[in-house]
Amino acid sequence: MNMDRRIVFILVALAVIIPMLLSVNLPVSVSEPTQKFYDYVEALPAGSTIMIAFDYGPSSLAELNPMAKALLKQCFDKDIRVIGITLVVDAPTLVSDLIQEVAAEKEAVEGEDYVFLGYRPGDVQVILGIGTDIASVYDTDYNGTAISEIPMMQNITNYDQIDLLVDFASSDTIESWIIYANVQYNQKIAAGVTGVIIAQMFPYLQTGQLVGLLSGILGAAEYENLVGAPAKGMQWINVESFVHLLIVVLVIIGNITYFIHRAREE
Amino acid sequence: MDFWSLIGIWVAAFLTLSIYSVLYQDNPFYRFAEHLFVGVSVGYGIVLSIYQGFIPFAWKPFVAAVEGESSSGFIKLIPICIGLLFFARLSPRHTWLIRYPIAILIGFGSGIAIPNVLRANIFEQTRGTIAPFAAIHAGTLSGWGTFEAILMVIGVICTLTYFFFSVEHRGPVKWLSKVGIAFLMIGFGSAFGNTVMGRVALLIQRVDFLLSDWLNIIS
Amino acid sequence: MKRQVPLVLCFVFGIAMIFTRFSPHSVSQWIYEEVISWVLIIGPFALVLATVTLIQTHTTRIRRRTEHWQYSLVVFAGLTIMVVIGIRFGPQNSIFEWLYNNVQLPMDATMFSLLAFFIASAAYRAFRARTFEASLLLITAVVVMMGNVPMGDFIWNSIMSWSPWADKVSEARQWILDNPNLSARRGIILGVSLGVISQSIRIILGIERSYLGGGD
Repeated sequence: MNMDRRIVFILVALAVIIPMLLSVNLPVSVSEPTQKFYDYVEALPAGSTIMIAFDYGPSSLAELNPMAKALLKQCFDKDIRVIGITLVVDAPTLVSDLIQEVAAEKEAVEGEDYVFLGYRPGDVQVILGIGTDIASVYDTDYNGTAISEIPMMQNITNYDQIDLLVDFASSDTIESWIIYANVQYNQKIAAGVTGVIIAQMFPYLQTGQLVGLLSGILGAAEYENLVGAPAKGMQWINVESFVHLLIVVLVIIGNITYFIHRAREE
Repeated sequence: MDFWSLIGIWVAAFLTLSIYSVLYQDNPFYRFAEHLFVGVSVGYGIVLSIYQGFIPFAWKPFVAAVEGESSSGFIKLIPICIGLLFFARLSPRHTWLIRYPIAILIGFGSGIAIPNVLRANIFEQTRGTIAPFAAIHAGTLSGWGTFEAILMVIGVICTLTYFFFSVEHRGPVKWLSKVGIAFLMIGFGSAFGNTVMGRVALLIQRVDFLLSDWLNIIS
Repeated sequence: MKRQVPLVLCFVFGIAMIFTRFSPHSVSQWIYEEVISWVLIIGPFALVLATVTLIQTHTTRIRRRTEHWQYSLVVFAGLTIMVVIGIRFGPQNSIFEWLYNNVQLPMDATMFSLLAFFIASAAYRAFRARTFEASLLLITAVVVMMGNVPMGDFIWNSIMSWSPWADKVSEARQWILDNPNLSARRGIILGVSLGVISQSIRIILGIERSYLGGGD
């Protein structure tokens, strides 16, 4: 059955717009990798330090911003200190705004509860450089404050003082973190990744090279559920349901017409 | 909401719709937005690379070396000079000079990759494949877990066989390779299913912006 | 000078990184840290390559008046505005951030979201169970797609409400990802990694020289 592809486009648009207007709310169950991630963070005592690498730009913010927000909320609620960095050049403004938004909501204090160190070019050398001395890579934070003048950085020099590294990744940065930070410095790593790279993360999860994994917008919704702060992740995964259903229906229709056509030809 | 935030939302909405207009057909609005996107994002990248790359890694050590703030400062002038060789790209006669910094970066990357990739991706992944058999031997793995462990080994061996081109794929190798293809198809199917989720999420975020921030239809 | 020195540099830095990895000696660690600081300094300069290539491409388009050459002026306009404001006032300047948040960010996000439409259209047109392998791919994709959203379990639980099996679609999705998908991915990781290691050895030993480019 030949159908103008613009009809498919309109159907996709309607499958997003209508559920969004209707505000559908189906329950979300929690998968094991997400639960592991949450449990690991929950088990950290107050005063622990998490380094979050926000390795994504605007093209992936829809999937990764909601899970990053949920994690930041959990950290600030539990008095876990957060060091933010990014290996992606078009991320700093986006990340700075995100951290400040959550910090303002949770009344976290910059320099004491969190710090955003900004961007540095060169994935591997930055990851290895942090292992030798964070100050050799980041002499200041994103605002230009000398790292030696930031209270929460006083006793943090390298991975030895970081209890967990979380990479929110839209590309192969996560593999660089595993290959260099985990192998060379024994750094515990958890990841939140975009849909495109979810499938390739599972071998690392099984070996324990990743202690937890959040899978795209589904992972974000699950984490919001666990943290008890439903937000965009929960809202969008419900809208997502209708588009997935539409695509499955289109695939079925496409196959039925294909088999009918083939039977006629035979 | 202040004036500039409001203007910002309208600009963002206009550019968003300009890009979506390509779904109907190619048009000047789309081409304008597409080219503006390239220019603006490269411009942003240049500024950030200068402020977060050049200045902390090259300019500050250079100033420290020249002003004699650090005893080892002059050593840092060597990599700065090597880095400056990238500018040889501007002169066709001297373009070959960029081979020096590229060779250092490639040599560093290759050298550091060998031991780390070996451990992270060969040893650890092999260990992960074999480890469940220790649990089977100890009798701590259920029947279903044992089935999964065996399935995993079969899958890994067959997938590797498919990529092994040093022998002709005939007889048993052909069948192992065929099973490998089946596993790969399931892997690619998983990737497709997850990619759909990712791309649709991006669309939902844009529609959310248009309906809530721009049109104020939903809260 | 043009080829031998880069090959020697590549060899020296490559070997240095391998040896320092296995030696805890203080000299070895000093070399390791010094090499990292060198590549941290050299790395940012590579930006010159990307920028020059972009400028050359669009300058050529304008000079030759190729089709739609006028849009190359838009590229330069966007680039110039960002660079002038950003370098003069810094990346945290309010105008620079406004341009990022209201021009770059929405376009970047929208550009990639177009793929949602194309992927749906492609699924309808090309996703056919023509062979056994294609059927496996299709069935897996459908299960993962439905397992990824709460609607999958909702439909399953509505239809199978009489049975004791709840949330089976999301469980099936998780099982696929944890088992056959894992095996395939691990096979790929092992294969690719062996390739990376052998290629790295060839580069360090000067057997693989394509990174030097053409010419003498």
